[in-house]
Amino acid sequence: MPYRRSKRKRGARWEYPILRRPSNRRTIHNALASLVLCGPAIVLYVGFIVVPAMLGFAYSFTNWTGWTGRPAYVGLANFRELLSDTRFLDAIRFTLLESALIVIFFTFASMLLAVILDALRFWKGPIRGLFFYPYILSILVNALLFQYLANYREGAMNTLLRTAGLDSITQDWMGDPGLVPYFIFALVAWSGLGFFTTLYLANLQTIPTELYEAARIDGAGPLSVFRRIQFPMLLPTLTTTSVLAVITGINLFPQIVVTTQGGPGFRTFTIGYYIYHLGVLNNRQGYAAAVSFVTFLALVIIAGIQVALLRRRQVSL
Amino acid sequence: MRSRSLLRLVPALLAVTIAASLCGCGAESGGGNVIRVTRNIGGREGFRKHFNTWKAVFERNHPGWQLELIDLGNMEGSNFYKSRIATGDLPEIVMTWEMANFLSDGGHLVPLPDAYYEKFGIPLPKPYKGKRYTTQGGLQIQGVVVNKPMWAAIGVTESPATWEAYFEAFRKLREKGYKPLVLGGREWNAAQPLFFAIASDLYDRAADPGKPSWTLRKDKGEVSFAKDPIARQVFETMIRLVDEFVDKGALSDGYNEEQRDFYGGKGATWMMGCWMAGDIEPNKVEFEMEYWPVPSLIGRAPVFIQTSGMQSGWAVTTSATGEKLDKAMAAMETFYDPEVYQEFLNGECQFGQADKVPVTQPKYAWPPAQRLIENMNANLKTYGAVPGYHIALDDMPPASIHDILARVMQEIMAGGRDVDKLLAMLDAEWESARKGT
Repeated sequence: MPYRRSKRKRGARWEYPILRRPSNRRTIHNALASLVLCGPAIVLYVGFIVVPAMLGFAYSFTNWTGWTGRPAYVGLANFRELLSDTRFLDAIRFTLLESALIVIFFTFASMLLAVILDALRFWKGPIRGLFFYPYILSILVNALLFQYLANYREGAMNTLLRTAGLDSITQDWMGDPGLVPYFIFALVAWSGLGFFTTLYLANLQTIPTELYEAARIDGAGPLSVFRRIQFPMLLPTLTTTSVLAVITGINLFPQIVVTTQGGPGFRTFTIGYYIYHLGVLNNRQGYAAAVSFVTFLALVIIAGIQVALLRRRQVSL
Repeated sequence: MRSRSLLRLVPALLAVTIAASLCGCGAESGGGNVIRVTRNIGGREGFRKHFNTWKAVFERNHPGWQLELIDLGNMEGSNFYKSRIATGDLPEIVMTWEMANFLSDGGHLVPLPDAYYEKFGIPLPKPYKGKRYTTQGGLQIQGVVVNKPMWAAIGVTESPATWEAYFEAFRKLREKGYKPLVLGGREWNAAQPLFFAIASDLYDRAADPGKPSWTLRKDKGEVSFAKDPIARQVFETMIRLVDEFVDKGALSDGYNEEQRDFYGGKGATWMMGCWMAGDIEPNKVEFEMEYWPVPSLIGRAPVFIQTSGMQSGWAVTTSATGEKLDKAMAAMETFYDPEVYQEFLNGECQFGQADKVPVTQPKYAWPPAQRLIENMNANLKTYGAVPGYHIALDDMPPASIHDILARVMQEIMAGGRDVDKLLAMLDAEWESARKGT
């Protein structure tokens, strides 16, 4: 019992509880229990995240191939090469384009969808389930499905167009450089929409009904309700979703591996795929580590700025 | 008290879990009397037939042992091998392609004694760092397979000597309503025309001991794609090829689609290695075909590209130890069993090079396939074959060169028309990939 309350004497005031200092034995016991419970997680985290990250940083100063020979120290050569690496710049550009599309879509389209789904009177569960369904499929399944949909000859999209007599507008959805960024975006959007919508839906359930009732009495329409009540109340989730969407965009990798493999040519190289291309396909683990490290630093800065800006906005609202 | 006892159990449970998972790590690493072999079968029935025969003969001669297939599909196995190197679980026998040096540098290959090659009369391949690792196989060439009736319909019965003559013929084929060329851009096969042009015209035809190859000069910075006028000509030709004769949607197609189109009689020409002929019989392709040499851009004679001169084929890995090593070596010898070797030559459509094995060339019961072989053999004698850049393991472009060429071709198929940019792209990718070898 860490807290003790003295007996109340007649006419006396209640005493505040006194925090008793735990015994040394108890402290040791608690520490041991914590260690036992958290230890495995800490060991795994250190073993699989911290140590590899530190090793990766160390390898970024070497010419390690990853598979053969021993790494040799090359100083800042990898970072110097990075400065003039146009492929890296192209990968950044493509990743930022995809991220921008993804952030805008997941932040605002999911919010809008959540508000609409929340307002449904009938079939609420099944309809929400339909939107969430793609999220429970693995990325691999989603990507293969889209690859099939987009195939020029036998894909569902072009087959539908041909069936409708619209042969002239059939497209090579994955091969046309003008369309492929939107193909990748559509894949990500379809897969993640349910998850991001669910975050907003959960937030919508926390809005007190009194606010809606008051708004109704005041004669507010749905747009006013959204603008004056829902949107401000959804801002904490908007902060979360936008950060998660940025992470989703920057981490675009499995979708690329399964569908375009960076092609046509090098046009859908994301930063993640470029790191894989360098490290695994071209055996340049040292240089790939340098790219990873620089990307990591950039991400930390972007996430920091994003969170700071959105928090300030929340406070001001 | 009970919760405290449970807490004490946690470290024990953790230790047991870790021990169990550590034991489990090696569970898949080829236990039992099994020799695992990689093979790029994918959609190629001829390759499957070869492996099945190899397996059957080995298992017949070594009762209680199995040859297990790891099918790499239509891809070469570099990614698979790297993942297996990372987990310490390479199969006992692997197909090496141009990766024998990579695998050997990592200490993953077991050298073959010269006696192995002597036993079957196999021409000794150039050693890599003094050692030889691979089965070799036969004479593998690359060229142009044509649908004979379609080409005859436009009056062409002999191989055109230049790319220009091909283009002229392609136009006539299109006018006749035929698809002149099957070319898919999704996979490695996108590289074929570019590879042909580079191998045939950028590289010297005959090895000159006093003059290093284009590869070695490129690595020393003496030449580059951007500065080589022939390379520029090659790219301009590729752009014309794509502009005029490659259909919309080709970037969705891979090897299987190319094969289906050509064997289905929908395309007149296929720039593909000789192995494609191994699938004629299984697919019961009925029309007549011929195999023609690669044309030239710079007035050279048409020629086939020989890709089997350097160390390539199957090799034993260091995963095979003790009795498994003996059996893996036995499997390597079984490769040259006449029955197996015949299926290998049939599947890959290569010409035999093992003098002491009584099998010299592919043999098919299907007449169009057999007639193609005879034509291939005759044309090989007429036009000859050059190695292009497949010179030796230590005299070849970066191992990912075919992937790089395929990407550059994809770039052209996706609308890239700036030759300077394309040449610079090829130089940059070569140099970047070279730093990883």
